[in-house]
Amino acid sequence: MNCQEFRKSIAEAGENADVLAHSGECAACAAVLAAHGRLQAGLRTLAAELHHTEAPGRVESGLVAAFRSQHRRVRRAEERQWWIPALSWAAAAGLVMAAALFLLRPHQPQPAHRGAPDMVELANAADAPDAYAGETDDGFIALPNARGLDPAEEVNVVRVEVPRSAMLEVGLAVSADRVSELVEADVMLGPDGLARAIRFVDEPSM
Amino acid sequence: MNSTPPETDDALFVRSRGGEEAAFVALYRRRQGAIYRFVLHMSRSAAVAEDVTQEVFLALLREGCGYDPDRGTLSGYLFGIARKLLLRQMERGRVDVPLETETEDAAIPELAVAENALEDLTRREGIEALRRAIGTLPRRYREVVVLCDLEEVDYADAAQVLGCPIGTVRSRLHRARALLLDKLNHERRPGPSVSGLNPIRCLT
Repeated sequence: MNCQEFRKSIAEAGENADVLAHSGECAACAAVLAAHGRLQAGLRTLAAELHHTEAPGRVESGLVAAFRSQHRRVRRAEERQWWIPALSWAAAAGLVMAAALFLLRPHQPQPAHRGAPDMVELANAADAPDAYAGETDDGFIALPNARGLDPAEEVNVVRVEVPRSAMLEVGLAVSADRVSELVEADVMLGPDGLARAIRFVDEPSM
Repeated sequence: MNSTPPETDDALFVRSRGGEEAAFVALYRRRQGAIYRFVLHMSRSAAVAEDVTQEVFLALLREGCGYDPDRGTLSGYLFGIARKLLLRQMERGRVDVPLETETEDAAIPELAVAENALEDLTRREGIEALRRAIGTLPRRYREVVVLCDLEEVDYADAAQVLGCPIGTVRSRLHRARALLLDKLNHERRPGPSVSGLNPIRCLT
């Protein structure tokens, strides 16, 4: 090994047998090796001195607070994820039930033409059928618990959208996977504003 | 002597991600000192070192923090984040240390020393001189000295942190040590630096 090889070797591999052997023969390289060793010793001493230098305690406090906050958020998010579908289904079921009850329960008298904005008054059915027990010739089905109509009474017919589940209430078959769909229906209202009969529009079961 | 081996960084990291605060604190206490000292040496600012250390461990808390055990150690990953944050601070001018533009081939003094100049390098005065000399090294050399010599990061991890081959780490370290010796020699014997002297001839 010559001096050039010595310098290259000490740079790439540090001290090894060849380096030590060459430094035993060359005073200049021996001085370099000694300086190298003293520098390493100095760096080790400095490292040991600095070893206890650490971040202030407030850094740890801040990080622990951030850790707690993040995991609290994660737990809440997981809880929310569990409740969201359950609440959605419950809300949907509640809406269906409410709509069905609204249509089928006896209501307080109110003018027939003051319906919801999406209702379309179709006719002032002065020539309504004589009796509404069961299904009539024009497809109206008497609502359960609804009072019968006197032939002389004036009725109004309004078109509304109702959940398909309302068809179950009057004995019509409905596929389970379509219960929540909306269908158009004509509702016959008595002079007191209460629903008496219903007719589903464009339904094959009719 | 039935002492159980300490839990690995990776095991602590996994438990920490699972929400165990004690694991996160243990991991922080094990690694924060080295990160803080690395940034302190590089920035010469306790405030920057504090901020960067906090940011490094906050990054570890985030979803998709990006640590992959197959690509390197957690320690190397933390140093890598610290270095990136530090460079960002330097670009913004918050750190009073210039970004160097010198290349790997910049003139570096030979690894040589004047006689007896380093005899007391392990004494108080010598340690302070060494600390000052490290502080004046160009960034690329200072970071390898701090990582490999002061924090005892192995070459593979240092290469991961610096994003360069292991051979580059070795050569930078060699140049850094040569620069340190030159600075120390120059400090004790004001005058032309070792690099300015005629090279020592060896007839062996």
